[in-house]
Amino acid sequence: MASDFTPANNRGGPSSPDDGISSPIGSTFSSPNNAPSSRRKRGRRSAAYETPPPPSHSRFAATPDATPTPNSTAPSARGGGRRRAPSVTATPSTDDAPPSSEGGDPDEADEAPPMFVWGTSISVQDVNAAILRFLRHFREHPSHDEGKYMKAIHHVIEIEGESLEVDANDVFDYDNDLYTKMVRYPLEVLAIFDIVLMDLVSRINPLFEKHIQARIFNLKTSTSMRNLNPCDIEKMVSLKGMVIRCSSIIPEIREAVFRCLVCGHFSDPIVVDRGRISEPTMCMKEECKTKNSMTLVHNRCRFADKQIVRVQETPDEIPEGGTPHTVSLLMHDKLVDAGKPGDRVEVTGIYRAMSVRVGQTQRTMKSVFKTYIDCLHLKKTDKSRMNAEDPMETEQSTTQNDEGTPLNYEEQVEKLKELSKQPDIYDMLTRSLAPNIWELDDVKKGLLCQLFGGSALTLQSGASFRGDINILLVGDPGTSKSQLLQYIHKLAPRGIYTSGRGSSAVGLTAYVSKDPETGETVLESGALVLSDRGICCIDEFDKMSENARSMLHEVMEQQTVSIAKAGIIASLNARTSVLACANPSGSRYNPRLSVIDNIHLPPTLLSRFDLIYLILDKADEQTDRRLAKHIVALHFENPENSEQNVIDLPTLTAYLSYARKNIHPQLSDEAAEELTRGYVEMRRRGNFPGSSKKVITATPRQIESLIRLSEALARIRFSEWVEKKDVIEAFRLLEVALQQSATDHATGTIDMDLITTGVSASERMRRENLVGLARNVIMEKLQIGGPSTRMLELLEELKQRSNNAELHLNDLRNALSSLATEGFVVVHGDSVKRV
Amino acid sequence: MVGRQYDCLVNPLGAVRFTFEKAVASGSDPASFDHKDWGVADLFREFLFDNDGLSQVPILTPSTVQVAQPNTLVRFRGMIQDMLGNEFYVGAYKNEETWNTNKFTDVSQFPMGTSPDMRVWERRLLYCVPVPGQNLWADSTSEGAIYPCTNIASANREKRLRDNCSVSADVDMQDSSNDLPLSPCAKKMRGEFLPSENITEGTDCGASMVPDSDGNDFACLVKIYDSPESDLKLNDVFEFIGVLTYDTEVKDDKGGDNELANSFPEDESVNLPPSKVPRLHCLVHRKLSADDMILSSPAMEPKPHLVKGIRESLLRHLTVVLGDDELAAHFMLLHLLSKVHARVDSFAVGKLSLNLTGFDKASISVFGNRINDAVKNLLPFTHRMPLTVEYLNTASLAPVKDYQTNRLVPGVLQCADGSHLTIDETSLEAGTLNSNGVENTKILKDLMEFQMVEYDFKYYKMKMNADVQLLVLSEAKSNILPADLVVPFHPSSVGPLGIVDAETLNAWRWYLATLRSLPHSIETEMQKVVEDDMVAARQADRRLGSEDFSRWLSMGRLMSVSYGETCLSHEHWQMVKEMERLRKERLQ
Repeated sequence: MASDFTPANNRGGPSSPDDGISSPIGSTFSSPNNAPSSRRKRGRRSAAYETPPPPSHSRFAATPDATPTPNSTAPSARGGGRRRAPSVTATPSTDDAPPSSEGGDPDEADEAPPMFVWGTSISVQDVNAAILRFLRHFREHPSHDEGKYMKAIHHVIEIEGESLEVDANDVFDYDNDLYTKMVRYPLEVLAIFDIVLMDLVSRINPLFEKHIQARIFNLKTSTSMRNLNPCDIEKMVSLKGMVIRCSSIIPEIREAVFRCLVCGHFSDPIVVDRGRISEPTMCMKEECKTKNSMTLVHNRCRFADKQIVRVQETPDEIPEGGTPHTVSLLMHDKLVDAGKPGDRVEVTGIYRAMSVRVGQTQRTMKSVFKTYIDCLHLKKTDKSRMNAEDPMETEQSTTQNDEGTPLNYEEQVEKLKELSKQPDIYDMLTRSLAPNIWELDDVKKGLLCQLFGGSALTLQSGASFRGDINILLVGDPGTSKSQLLQYIHKLAPRGIYTSGRGSSAVGLTAYVSKDPETGETVLESGALVLSDRGICCIDEFDKMSENARSMLHEVMEQQTVSIAKAGIIASLNARTSVLACANPSGSRYNPRLSVIDNIHLPPTLLSRFDLIYLILDKADEQTDRRLAKHIVALHFENPENSEQNVIDLPTLTAYLSYARKNIHPQLSDEAAEELTRGYVEMRRRGNFPGSSKKVITATPRQIESLIRLSEALARIRFSEWVEKKDVIEAFRLLEVALQQSATDHATGTIDMDLITTGVSASERMRRENLVGLARNVIMEKLQIGGPSTRMLELLEELKQRSNNAELHLNDLRNALSSLATEGFVVVHGDSVKRV
Repeated sequence: MVGRQYDCLVNPLGAVRFTFEKAVASGSDPASFDHKDWGVADLFREFLFDNDGLSQVPILTPSTVQVAQPNTLVRFRGMIQDMLGNEFYVGAYKNEETWNTNKFTDVSQFPMGTSPDMRVWERRLLYCVPVPGQNLWADSTSEGAIYPCTNIASANREKRLRDNCSVSADVDMQDSSNDLPLSPCAKKMRGEFLPSENITEGTDCGASMVPDSDGNDFACLVKIYDSPESDLKLNDVFEFIGVLTYDTEVKDDKGGDNELANSFPEDESVNLPPSKVPRLHCLVHRKLSADDMILSSPAMEPKPHLVKGIRESLLRHLTVVLGDDELAAHFMLLHLLSKVHARVDSFAVGKLSLNLTGFDKASISVFGNRINDAVKNLLPFTHRMPLTVEYLNTASLAPVKDYQTNRLVPGVLQCADGSHLTIDETSLEAGTLNSNGVENTKILKDLMEFQMVEYDFKYYKMKMNADVQLLVLSEAKSNILPADLVVPFHPSSVGPLGIVDAETLNAWRWYLATLRSLPHSIETEMQKVVEDDMVAARQADRRLGSEDFSRWLSMGRLMSVSYGETCLSHEHWQMVKEMERLRKERLQ
């Protein structure tokens, strides 16, 4: 039994068994949620049966105990009852004589001298009237002709429901004062609320038997579990948490029926009074009157459901170096089983405390209290990863959406928009991505595109084009590939990180297994399916078995995982971006081999990656110095150092989620034109005679990649249109990724010199100029098929023309080799010949 | 204060009441005492620290708990292992027109009426255990006031040191404690305090108070008043001084009418029977550093020549321990001084885990124990973990929350900051890891790389920062546990360990404890030199990465710290580079 309340007057008597539970404030019943239905019915019935009173209770059942009405037993010295009426007769909250039975009841209350909630200046009648006003007149919108709650009440009556959900925000909007009272004195106000509801319902439909409770939710302020403190006791609180345990359902006795063992006479139902049922000591039947003969008849008693649920803080509320707090919830009736372990919930309820008795037989009370929350309303807030529409929408942003007022959200959007208008937003975002990994700016740009993503497209014909960008990083060991992967994994909310070495095909996709107990076949998702709409990071891609890798073909283009096993044929969505990283085939990049040979992955798979980055370790002193500086700073300075003008992580994620959710850029005509031009150019380059299969050639897939990349780039700017510059940047990214500028198309190898010196944009420009210049010179000097000339002579000539002393033979050699690839000249050792 | 009406030691509650009455008499409203102190803490601080009362306060240990009187002042040194949330209690109440307080007690002194003048206050419950892996010499019991057993402890220590000389004799004993990395000291303690236990066992309460005399289970429920949450963190080591209570009557709380308690045994009194877990109402608490663990702290200023002397002798000792491998001894010294002093993102700056390679079955049995003993004698909290497939598959390394009992079940890796963990990988053989094993290796790796342990709260995991010095002993470079420093171990002789006198030992301990926490900085010129060196090194060897540079800097820092200096000097930097060169030579 929930509560044993000795009648208050016993308390003084030293001989009386003192029992365990009393609230610090005193106005308490520990079994709070006596369903009003039962209670009221009980009340009525008791009146009908003329059993001697316990005056029937309000929902929280506290009243009779705490409120000494003159006709109830004896005034308690305990006096906790806040709502003891200073005046005489009865407080309305005690007298919840069912309005349905006699309509005049509330009137009687009206006539009575004003009554106040004990210890306050809150007038019961005022509250009563305010609630009635609120229910009758609250409209969500002035144009509605019927009040929101009147409609709701009608609806509840129709479906024979048991509760009316009341949005506390509505109460606040309509009657600020009522809201305050409700939150501060929920026991009293809710009791009145229920009476008003009863009254309303019975006027609408006098035959309606059930009793409707008000379930308040959506309080203006929500507390964190950690901050609950003694002054919250007996107040209405709202908090968020995660259900960790549910007790089994406890049948709580509400009415007991006894039978006489001697004559078989059934007693009248005896109601729970202050958590206790007083067993009749003798048979009530006139003829029998046997003493101590009554026994409980279980199946004629009435029980109500009750459950105790424990809720724990969610990880984000726990301060560093702390463990999560928990709190118990007491659920009744309909709320039972409303939450299951693992659910994230938002709970509205009344914070209660009851004292703990030292032992059953002891009368000493421990001076401590047990606290719990009488649950009024429970809302699942499980918008965690699995249910979120777009998982890029991080938890942070959802909570912002949820709890922050719309205004706040607007504000943030404004801020983000402001941010997007910055001219260097692209660079700024690049800088902010994994700020402690140096260089690799182009890689970061690619990853940024991956995070933002292109837009997926489904044609009416049913064909669909993915919007996800797949990236492969191939590079020397120790070039922070894994760190980048880890970072992206952390940033992307539904990121799955797996290592190729330990992944099997089924581990990545999905597999069918037999439940050992039931023998049922179950479909279990692998990494790719789990990262649907997220990013699947696969480390050590090269170490993955051939078989496992082949599973990726379908995922990366069709974005589904098909399964045909053990009688289950299914196709699961795996709309995931793949971010993989691998070492070159010989674990270090071998400059003598072609790029393809170095990467050593089947071309079918390679073509599915939008961007393939070759990350080569450059022996660049500049970079090294920066690295050294950074590490020294790391060790010797304040951690709050370095990079300025970086967007912090929460803003970055908010920016990301906003862009993914709201920006859907389209290709402008200009951009489309550029795209076509560039693609044709790319094809031409890949197909020129003499280039063997050693070069990654452009395929139609590439053009899709380019579209996706340009879309992502437009998204970064919060632009609804893909512009020409996006396309150009997309081409650049594609090119830079494979170090194509340094690739010798004839052999497919990379000119390491070019890479080690690094190719800046200006350098590229200069080089292009040089090529043009050399072409002109050769055109002038040499005849087709004519005699060859020495390179040094050419160099001199060029130097004269460009007035530029800083021309090296090497530069010329490079220029000539690119001319050679065009088939313009032939270079033999030192001599150049025009063809 | 002249003429106290109470004795802080024997009747601390009297002092509490006295100050309370005084405060009330002086016109304060008891209602305003919530979250506030009315002078109790000051009174006790004065008594403990200014009047040197601290040494008179008995320390709570498995043995002393049996004789300690309830409601007296005791102290408890331990680590916060779990937090049990807040507890509401009747702080002040009126009994026939006089205010009384329940602060610092469980049960009220007078029958509490249900007067409306009742103030509910809150206090925090912390579940504290003796620091895991605490070594005997750092055990506070040895200076316990109830039974001055300092002699026993030191006698034992000397004996143990002598044992060290004859290595083979030591092996058996060591092995027995290896199995339980958490409780090597607890086990010994048990043996050691047997005499004192015998004394009390005859009394009535003795049997019921500590039914399980294994020191492992010895824990204390500390109730904290008026202290901000951020003061006390999980895994912090504290000394709590407060009122000891047992509310033995709670035992029969299994009565059928408390439904909340029945359906969820959440009440800690059900899970933690007071017979096993004493309650301590904390009056004063202070955080303990490794310094406080040293028995008789020499309280020296870190003077350069002094430090240098200690450094030399310690290094000599380590060299002998490591079979005349001086290079390994140098690295060992730096390793023992390492500490996480900052965190940038997930990167823990300052850690220096050491992997000594080249052990085989024969040498591990010799040097493994020598190293272990040496470390145990030098650092207050040490653990040893024999890494086998079976161990990985069965052990619970990370703490797990048990929702049945609502407790955090400790794992091996829940240890106080500054603990030392020796992982013996030599006994690891090929085998299959089950899911627990895989999880455990991941946890170990995380600890190694990020100095972080993921606590399992079932519905989610929480990362907790750790600061553990990790020493890996392995045959070849450990790939499971990638340490910062891999040093091939080249012992040349197994020389006898000389007997180290207690004073030297203390000086070493003091040296390690004090210098670890020295601040450190770098000058601009030196910074330039370091950067240049790094760039040059990287130009020469492309394989060097940020990890290597990080390691160099950590070593540089520790090197100058080992000389008691707070600024990296050229000389020390050269020493580090030389050490790295020698190490590289060995690796080839």
